[in-house]
Amino acid sequence: MTPSNKRGKLFYKFFYFFLLISLGPLGVVGYYFINLTQESLKKASLNHQKSLAIGFSDAVYNYVSTFRNILVEATRMEDFASMNTARQNSSLNHLMQLQAAFLELSVFNLQGRETVRLGRFLGREPEMRDFSQKNSFLLALRDGEYVGELDRFLGSYPTVTVGVQVLNPATYKPAGILMAKLSLNGISSMLAQAFPQSGRSRAAVMGSNGFLIAHSDRKQVFKPDARLPKAVEEILLSHDEDQGGGEIALPDGERFLGAFATVKDLAWVVYVQEPITMAYQTAREMQGRISWVFLAVVGFVLSLSFLVSLLITQPIQALKEASVKLGRGEFEDLPQLKMPNDEIGELAQTFNQMSDSLRVKTAELFKAKEDLEKFNHTLENRVEARTRELRAAQDELITKERLAAIGQMASVVGHEIRNPLAVINNSVYFIKTKLATGGEVDPKISKHISIIESEIQQANGIISEILTFARTRELKPEVQSANTFLEELLSSYPFPSHIQLVQDFASENPVVFIDPDEMKQCLRNLIGNAIEVMPGGGVLKVSTVLVQQGWVRMDVADTGPGIPADILEKIFAPFFTTKARGTGLGLAVVRKVLDRHKGKVEVSSVVGKGTTFSLYLPLASRPSSMTVDSRQ
Amino acid sequence: MKENLLIVDDDAHLRESLAEVLDLDGFKCFQAGTAKEGLEMAKLHHPQVVILDIQLPDSSGFQICQDLRRTSKQMVLIMMTGRFLSSEEKTQGFGLGADDYITKPFDLKELSVRIKQLLSRAKNK
Repeated sequence: MTPSNKRGKLFYKFFYFFLLISLGPLGVVGYYFINLTQESLKKASLNHQKSLAIGFSDAVYNYVSTFRNILVEATRMEDFASMNTARQNSSLNHLMQLQAAFLELSVFNLQGRETVRLGRFLGREPEMRDFSQKNSFLLALRDGEYVGELDRFLGSYPTVTVGVQVLNPATYKPAGILMAKLSLNGISSMLAQAFPQSGRSRAAVMGSNGFLIAHSDRKQVFKPDARLPKAVEEILLSHDEDQGGGEIALPDGERFLGAFATVKDLAWVVYVQEPITMAYQTAREMQGRISWVFLAVVGFVLSLSFLVSLLITQPIQALKEASVKLGRGEFEDLPQLKMPNDEIGELAQTFNQMSDSLRVKTAELFKAKEDLEKFNHTLENRVEARTRELRAAQDELITKERLAAIGQMASVVGHEIRNPLAVINNSVYFIKTKLATGGEVDPKISKHISIIESEIQQANGIISEILTFARTRELKPEVQSANTFLEELLSSYPFPSHIQLVQDFASENPVVFIDPDEMKQCLRNLIGNAIEVMPGGGVLKVSTVLVQQGWVRMDVADTGPGIPADILEKIFAPFFTTKARGTGLGLAVVRKVLDRHKGKVEVSSVVGKGTTFSLYLPLASRPSSMTVDSRQ
Repeated sequence: MKENLLIVDDDAHLRESLAEVLDLDGFKCFQAGTAKEGLEMAKLHHPQVVILDIQLPDSSGFQICQDLRRTSKQMVLIMMTGRFLSSEEKTQGFGLGADDYITKPFDLKELSVRIKQLLSRAKNK
């Protein structure tokens, strides 16, 4: 058997069923879970980017407002409102030395004329400008302060113009405007610190017109036409919200997670970007981890389903195998079923009971079959025996019919041959008598007359023998002692001298119920035959033996030449003879007489040793009672 | 004087040969081939001895034996037969008046003696 056959279909049914009910929901849940976590993680990443952008927008605001505050502080310095250019010059010079971010510092009077101008790259007598028509001056005068006018100082450093009112401390009325060109490199430094070059995240600050104010990669900023990539810039410029973010795909195929936040009071936008791969690192890790967990769970479910299916189907399989064996009738080979304490266990128990019952029933069937065979055998034997009996009866009938035919023939012979014999006899007698009266007779005629007379006698003897055999006279049985009967018969029989007679009679003195005349004839025939076959002398033994079951046997045994087997079976047939002269009726008469006495005759012969005829006769009464009688 | 002797048998040769032999013994023999003829001959010749075959063409020998015995008590009636007779048959024959039985072929000397013996006994009755 292959293993798959051994597990069977039921096992796989259970197995697939368990897999379906466990892995199905698990798959659905897992899928949603992964999606959910991915989404949340991505959202978290975006939020993180957003918060970075917001944080930096605050920082940028603080940067700008810090320097504005410094300017406001500067205007409040002693005598600054007096608009004393010398004093102002000295203060601003000091300020410029303190704060490297200030690239230029100027003071304008209320008419917009520049009264003080300090710059890091200006000559000793710089040109005084008229800002009366400039937005920066007008807005600063109107609103009290101004931040704007992004510019690239010397075509490289990004700068912003910041203007604050110079207030008269006594009247709180503007006395002029302090204007500064503020370097924005600090912001780039700040970004570079937060987003180092080694990392792949980048941050930038952009003005409302796309002017690149700062970049974590400073090289990007120090270009006259520095701008953010077109795709990013478009998104940033087209937004309406204060903050936002999402995935961005650049034309070169790079994908980023970007976020932006507007800087408070300024139209600037802080932009933060991180490559998608990095931004979603966590999500991916989480996905991987969940996948592993999922795989582990699948593996676990797989083995659990396998085990459970095996656990359920194994007893059934064992039962099935046992059933197959039972079906083949291998009762001795049935496995011991160890079953769980459940319905299957009960089934196994039922199966055991069933197999026991089946074993008993089968044994009974086998027994019945055997009995039937025995009975059949007996029946066959009986049929055979009955057939033998019938055949014997048939043989007997045939014999009887033959005897009847012989009787018929004998009757004819008696009438039709004895008559002419009588006539011949009469005529011969007449001739003989006549010749005797006429004197001397020719001796030859006398001799021939004697021959005729002798032959008439011979013929008459044969006819008598046939008639005797055919005669159906009534049996006249008498109770006789077998020994005495034989003794009398033998004593009167004229034995020739060359025959030695031996008698051996049974000591029990058996008694038989026989017709003495017929039995004498019968024994004379046998003795006559015996004497005939021993012309040169021999032993004739006559004996009686009490055989079992109520039979006596009379044996007439000679020491003649014996009878060959092929002849032995025919000797009792009427008219069968081996003699030169004889009717062949002697032994036929013996058998007929024994048949009439309900006995039987048997012959045994050894060629060269002799022949024994055994006459079996039923005992007249039981030998045991005879024994008792003889004792009394 | 010669005694009359009647032989009744359907076999002419047997009748004649027996008649010739008995003639030598001094009997005057008459012959009959049937029962009817036998009875007529008996009426005509009044035989002292009748030798009868048991089986005759027209009747049983026993029947004639009975008829003849009715006519004469002294008549010697001898039955002839070619076969064995059962003792019942013999008894029946004696009952019907038969004096003796002879079996074919006959010992003629014996037959002669028997007839003479029976005759002498019958005369003394």
